[in-house]
Amino acid sequence: MLKIRNLHAAIDGREILKGLDLTVKAGEVHALMGPNGSGKSTLSYVLAGRQGYEVTQGSVLFNDQNLLEMKPEERAVAGIFLAFQYPVEIPGVSNMNFLKSSLNAVRTARGESTFDAMQMLKLLRSKAKQLGMTEDMMKRAVNVGFSGGEKKRNEVLQMAVLEPALCILDETDSGLDIDALKIVADGVNALRSPSRAMLVITHYQRLLNYIQPDHVHVLVQGKIQRSGGPRLALELEAKGYADFIPDAA
Amino acid sequence: MTLASLIERSQKNSEAWKYTSLAALAKVPYQSNIEGYGMLRASAKPLGKEQPHYLVFINGVWQKDQSQFADLPSGFIEGDTVHGYRLKLAGQTCLVTAPVELIFINAPEKQALEVTTKIHIELGCSGRLTLMERHESQSEHPVAHMVETTIELASQAKLVHGKIAGPFAAAHLATTEVSVAEGAYYDNFTLLCGGKLVRNEVNVTLSNELAQCVLNGVMLAQGDDHIDTTTCMKHAAPNCSSREVYKSVITDKARAVFKGKILVEKAAQKSDGHQLCRALLLSDQAEMDAKPELEIYADDVKCSHGCSVGDLDADALFYLRARGLSEAQARALLVRGFIDEIVDEIRVDDWRQYCRQRIEEWLNDCV
Repeated sequence: MLKIRNLHAAIDGREILKGLDLTVKAGEVHALMGPNGSGKSTLSYVLAGRQGYEVTQGSVLFNDQNLLEMKPEERAVAGIFLAFQYPVEIPGVSNMNFLKSSLNAVRTARGESTFDAMQMLKLLRSKAKQLGMTEDMMKRAVNVGFSGGEKKRNEVLQMAVLEPALCILDETDSGLDIDALKIVADGVNALRSPSRAMLVITHYQRLLNYIQPDHVHVLVQGKIQRSGGPRLALELEAKGYADFIPDAA
Repeated sequence: MTLASLIERSQKNSEAWKYTSLAALAKVPYQSNIEGYGMLRASAKPLGKEQPHYLVFINGVWQKDQSQFADLPSGFIEGDTVHGYRLKLAGQTCLVTAPVELIFINAPEKQALEVTTKIHIELGCSGRLTLMERHESQSEHPVAHMVETTIELASQAKLVHGKIAGPFAAAHLATTEVSVAEGAYYDNFTLLCGGKLVRNEVNVTLSNELAQCVLNGVMLAQGDDHIDTTTCMKHAAPNCSSREVYKSVITDKARAVFKGKILVEKAAQKSDGHQLCRALLLSDQAEMDAKPELEIYADDVKCSHGCSVGDLDADALFYLRARGLSEAQARALLVRGFIDEIVDEIRVDDWRQYCRQRIEEWLNDCV
């Protein structure tokens, strides 16, 4: 589904990703772990198409399409979903209206009929309930006045509504207490399916107790230094990242 | 006031007219006396399907036969175009629950036309009234419309006053002078949808204790529009409160002006006055001139003003695009959200919907 080859990317001329390779197949859950500044969030933004991230070398194919040539909205409707580390507050735009515009953009691209307000309300009610979100949160402006946990739940809600092919979760666990973490993880697990892939970016092994990955990768200094099974995450938790820093090794 | 005298006055008082010049109007031969003036038919329909009360003015002249006012208290409207019109709810606790719509149409004339409309609105003690004012131009020839409104609210009276105006091919120059007595409340919402030269001046005096005033407004400017909102909120008595929020969206080469003053007199202790002006500039050549002013002579007051001018938030734009919205859709949604914060507060349903519709049309054109 996703093939990243020798990816180099820079912000303001400073190279952050230095030859990253990663292949993700449908049905798989990959965890990407690494210390601060290793390039985890840069990778997620490059995949989502944020401006200001310059790809200097390498390629990214998503279902055999050249992802790097696509606009952010084209990537989104093609099935890429980035759950933001810091979801943005949008005053004046109701969550409901936002989700409806978003879902209809995606459905139109898939050649499906658009949802009207009633259909949307019905869909949201059932999805929101699973995530412990109230109807009031649907009426409020997007993320405005939401707690950290509510913002992250809102991201997972959007994911559940849009049903993307590839979910990228950028530090979805940061700022969550243990109860919120469970709710978010349950929401993510409910979306696991043979046709969907997930890339879970995190600092800590903790999240991986709840979302069991098939593969774990260690990203240090812009490159994947090691890949392995779920046990690799436990090893990291015990030893830290020091062993993976090339200069120190 | 004639157009010529207004132009002269604006040139003498350069500070009050710092960002808006009427000089261009002097070059057009505006006529104030045209035969059959205002007698033309123009289409004027109320907004609400079941709007019980509405008054139609064509080129400044009240059209009795096109208006519906039978259920209003007798003597609600009196006057003529020369002396001005008076809208009055006299006596104690006189109230009209359904909104009264004022429809001002500039109808087609054969030449450039100058129109002055004078309206005096008076509410007795504890009177209640909702007025919805709509200005439209159906004329291809330029019309310079001057609207002079004076409002007197007796103690405990409450007036909700909405205004939607534009777009105008020529000029719309309005002044509203409001006096708010003890415990009375004046609520004004104005949507200005563009125009070559628009100035909307609102001057409020909170003349007695516990008077309150809310001024909200939206300015939408495109092309070579020039839209000016100038307000003065005078706290003349203790314990009064005022709130002002004006938002502007400006694109192309258009220009918007906000000049707002809060004046607190020495006697007006415990005044609570806040003002906010925010503008979105959607193009490089769009311009916003904002001049908030506080002039305070009392020593125990809570007053503030805030002002921000900027482009759309890049983070929010990316967030929406990452959820599948095209750049144009995302921009429109953000602009709509920016304005909606004010529009949401309009409590008259028909009116709020109509505002939304007008804003939507504007966005489709411009964003």
